[in-house]
Amino acid sequence: MKVLKVSGWTIAAFVLPCLLLYVCLVFLPIIVSVYNGMLQWNGIGTSKFIGLANFTKMFTDDPVFWPAVGRTFLLAGFSMLVQLPLALFVAILISRYVRRTSFLVSSYFLPVILSVAVIGQLWKTIYNPASMGGMINQILVKLGLDSWTHSWLTEPKIAIYAIIIVGLWQYLGYHILIQFTGIQNIPADIYEAAKIDGAEGFKADRYITLPLIVPIFKISVVLSFIGSLQSFDLIMVMTGGGPAHATDVIASVMYNMSFLSMKYGYGSAIASFLVVVCLLATVIINFLFNRLDKRFS
Amino acid sequence: MSPSTTAKVIKPAAHARRRGFSITKTIVFVIFGILLVTQLYPLLWLLIYSFKTNEEILSGSFFSLPAVWQWSNYTSAIESGNYWRYLSNSVLVTSVTMISVILLASLAAYAISRFRWKYGQLVLLAFLLGMMVPLQATLLPLMLIFKNLDILNTRLSLILPYIAFQTPIAVFILSGFMKTIPQEIEESGIMDGASVYRIFTSIVLPITVPPIVTVCILAFINIWNEYILAATFISSEKLKTLPFGVNSFVSQYSVNYGAIGAFLVLGALPVILIYFLLSEKITKGMVAGAVKG
Repeated sequence: MKVLKVSGWTIAAFVLPCLLLYVCLVFLPIIVSVYNGMLQWNGIGTSKFIGLANFTKMFTDDPVFWPAVGRTFLLAGFSMLVQLPLALFVAILISRYVRRTSFLVSSYFLPVILSVAVIGQLWKTIYNPASMGGMINQILVKLGLDSWTHSWLTEPKIAIYAIIIVGLWQYLGYHILIQFTGIQNIPADIYEAAKIDGAEGFKADRYITLPLIVPIFKISVVLSFIGSLQSFDLIMVMTGGGPAHATDVIASVMYNMSFLSMKYGYGSAIASFLVVVCLLATVIINFLFNRLDKRFS
Repeated sequence: MSPSTTAKVIKPAAHARRRGFSITKTIVFVIFGILLVTQLYPLLWLLIYSFKTNEEILSGSFFSLPAVWQWSNYTSAIESGNYWRYLSNSVLVTSVTMISVILLASLAAYAISRFRWKYGQLVLLAFLLGMMVPLQATLLPLMLIFKNLDILNTRLSLILPYIAFQTPIAVFILSGFMKTIPQEIEESGIMDGASVYRIFTSIVLPITVPPIVTVCILAFINIWNEYILAATFISSEKLKTLPFGVNSFVSQYSVNYGAIGAFLVLGALPVILIYFLLSEKITKGMVAGAVKG
């Protein structure tokens, strides 16, 4: 199949520019980051090698760290238990009831293409107090529910949920689109055959769409889980992790440690933790879905 | 039942794949309607907000249209923020990144998929790993590297990592496509005495245009919208990209709510215009990126 036998120099000319850039700017930094995690270092002075001390401190003696981990999984949980099932449901409805789908699907998709900076600031405006023109509080006041109004982003108990809603809102259309495309790719003759056997409507969805959508659904799960682990740009724009760490996730703690508190060593330790969790999560999700796939086939 | 609601019930029935109770269809279309409102109304609200005076915004009538459309909000937003500068920075950074990604990734993908050599799969695996790794972990080391190279707070400190972050998915998509090119095409080139470079530029690249478009779309959406890297590596006002510029303008400027809204609309406008022109291509490209990644 591969016909071209070329000299090593030619191969190098083709591969190296891309590979070198990638290795130097992605691969090495991550390895360096694991090493930096073992340093006590504020970035300017000399660094001191302290072994795993940063990691033990992180796991045992940091009041901010574990709540942030919990919140990261809260984000992932909401995305997987609310956003993805809703997206699948809507995708099934669209493929069943709508003939000219492009308007609906591309309207739902619109928030996906906007920058977090715009989305975050837009929702900050929406969450503003009624006296500053915030939409939600003004709606509540109009409905006579003044007691329900909140300062959504500054009350520690609800701020994280206010952010979660924005994340769900922005990416719902992405998952609808992915799963809708998956359903479109299921061959129509399978449904025809099932119809002859008496499986129609939602019964057909239960026995055909759901099992056959599993591989595509897996993509959505990986995207939403990894996305939640990494998601912090929205948080940085909207609250910066505050009030009093109430909206901190793993990545925002890492960012604030590294760039605000200038604890380079400690920040790197959290970064390495994030890398490991991401890799583990990908492996575990793939493993679970392989088993699910086997059960269905 | 008013005539308009009956029309609503009948119309979907004509479109439906199978005949069923029209009650179900009404419910389904109500669901679609609700979702349409939740997904689009915040953006519409922002658009209306951006044309209001402070008094109208604070009055609490969030739903009403402005009495007089305040275009002055837009002029004052553009005058007080460096909109055109941010926009041109974003255009420059994004286009340089896109061109470099296409060039570098297609070269590498060609070597991985078509050359007879031992380490092709290994190189591909290295790129694949990069798609699973959280890129935020590279922020701090990159900053230290760029500080040492003395390119922190230059456009290069954005463009270089942007290229590097986009290459894994680009190499993956392009090499997947190039694998399927029939070998007769290359053989005919060899018969004509063309060099590898010649075969690559005048035979392989033209065939590869469809996946290159996908890669372009993914890179455009990712780079155009990128905020964290820009906010971390850039500090001088004249180098800020649009998302960073929007964010710093909106957080610092607090005199005129309408102007803030106007700046947000202006920040969203370029990508929305492009989406109106190419929505089919963009949605297809984003799905392809997700599915192949």
